[in-house]
Amino acid sequence: MTGFYARWAIMVGGIILLAMMTFQQYQRDLSTISLATVLNSPTTSEHVRIQGMVKSGTLTGAIEEGQATFELIDGPTTLPVEYAGPPLENIRELKTMVLIGHLHHETKTFKAEDTALINNFGFVAAAYLVTVITLCWAMFAMSQRVMVLFKEIKDEKLYEPEHEPLANKE
Amino acid sequence: MLNRFIRWIQRYKGWFGGGAVICISLGLYTGLFASPPDYYQGELVRIMYVHVPLAHTSTLAYSVLFFGSIWYLWKRDPLVDNACQASAGICALFTALALITGSIWAKPTWNTWWTWDPRLVSFSVLLLILGGYLMLRKLVDDRERSGRYAAILAIVGGIDLPIIKFSVEWWRTLHQPMSFSTRGVAISDDILLPLTLMSLGAWLLFAYMVMVRTQVLYLTDLLNAKKGRLFSQTHFSQTSL
Repeated sequence: MTGFYARWAIMVGGIILLAMMTFQQYQRDLSTISLATVLNSPTTSEHVRIQGMVKSGTLTGAIEEGQATFELIDGPTTLPVEYAGPPLENIRELKTMVLIGHLHHETKTFKAEDTALINNFGFVAAAYLVTVITLCWAMFAMSQRVMVLFKEIKDEKLYEPEHEPLANKE
Repeated sequence: MLNRFIRWIQRYKGWFGGGAVICISLGLYTGLFASPPDYYQGELVRIMYVHVPLAHTSTLAYSVLFFGSIWYLWKRDPLVDNACQASAGICALFTALALITGSIWAKPTWNTWWTWDPRLVSFSVLLLILGGYLMLRKLVDDRERSGRYAAILAIVGGIDLPIIKFSVEWWRTLHQPMSFSTRGVAISDDILLPLTLMSLGAWLLFAYMVMVRTQVLYLTDLLNAKKGRLFSQTHFSQTSL
């Protein structure tokens, strides 16, 4: 019985480890920070991901050649952006987008070098959690039931051959 | 002494469970870390690595139930009846999960949790058929009658399988068309690898779960029979105690 619970503890531990690795990857590679956080951050050239909407009437530059300037808004915060990178295929005003780059602290301008898709990781996490938790629970409950049934059969000595009283008398 | 098949399950089910854990672990790693996001769907494509294997496995599980029911009506083997009942329960679980994960994917992609799409409706009908099957097993007291009626229901319900399969071709639908067909494979290699691993893992997991569930049903019947609460004389004809 101890082995049974030990196996399950190892499996649950593995799943938790995988979930933590996934969350770390999300924080490192996918999550975005707010414009206010970028503006208030200490001077650093670290690349960050920001998400906001392109302000109406501010988009200028050679977009198809990968050069553009515009203002990004996120709630009450506005941040000027200078984009220089791969050609922008689907940028337009009032579009929400994710930019990868760093803040130039002297000019308070965000130097963007690439764009990314808006992630909906909450939906992904929900789908995986629902599936993994349900299947693990079902498997654990069934396996435990088998163990209990075997034990019950063994304890009640139901596996032993039955003797027919009449036959013994004869 | 237990039935030979149950002893075989007890001995070998671990291989199926272990294989499922290995395939699913590799599938989760490649699906969550190694594969890139999709050009249009972004990170949401990762939901496919659970949704599609669950959906495939639920149709496979119903196929097992369908052929098992034919076998049961032909041979009247109670152990086959146990396996069919186990398969129906696991199939219902996989079908419900496939619908839930599909719904979670649909919300950010189609902007709705549910739509009256032929594939979605035919798949939901499968869940209703399975619900009916499991209710029938509970409601009819007589074991053999319950098995017979449920087997007939499962065979009649089998008509839903080709409807599910070809619904995306027969009707106009939001759901994407078949990725595996005689026309070839319409999936990029980056997505195909985690999808294959997860599908293989889901099939092995289904096999493992059916084995365990069959054991549960058999052992419960065995215990009840030995305690004098089950009156079917034929059920344990292959079991010597």
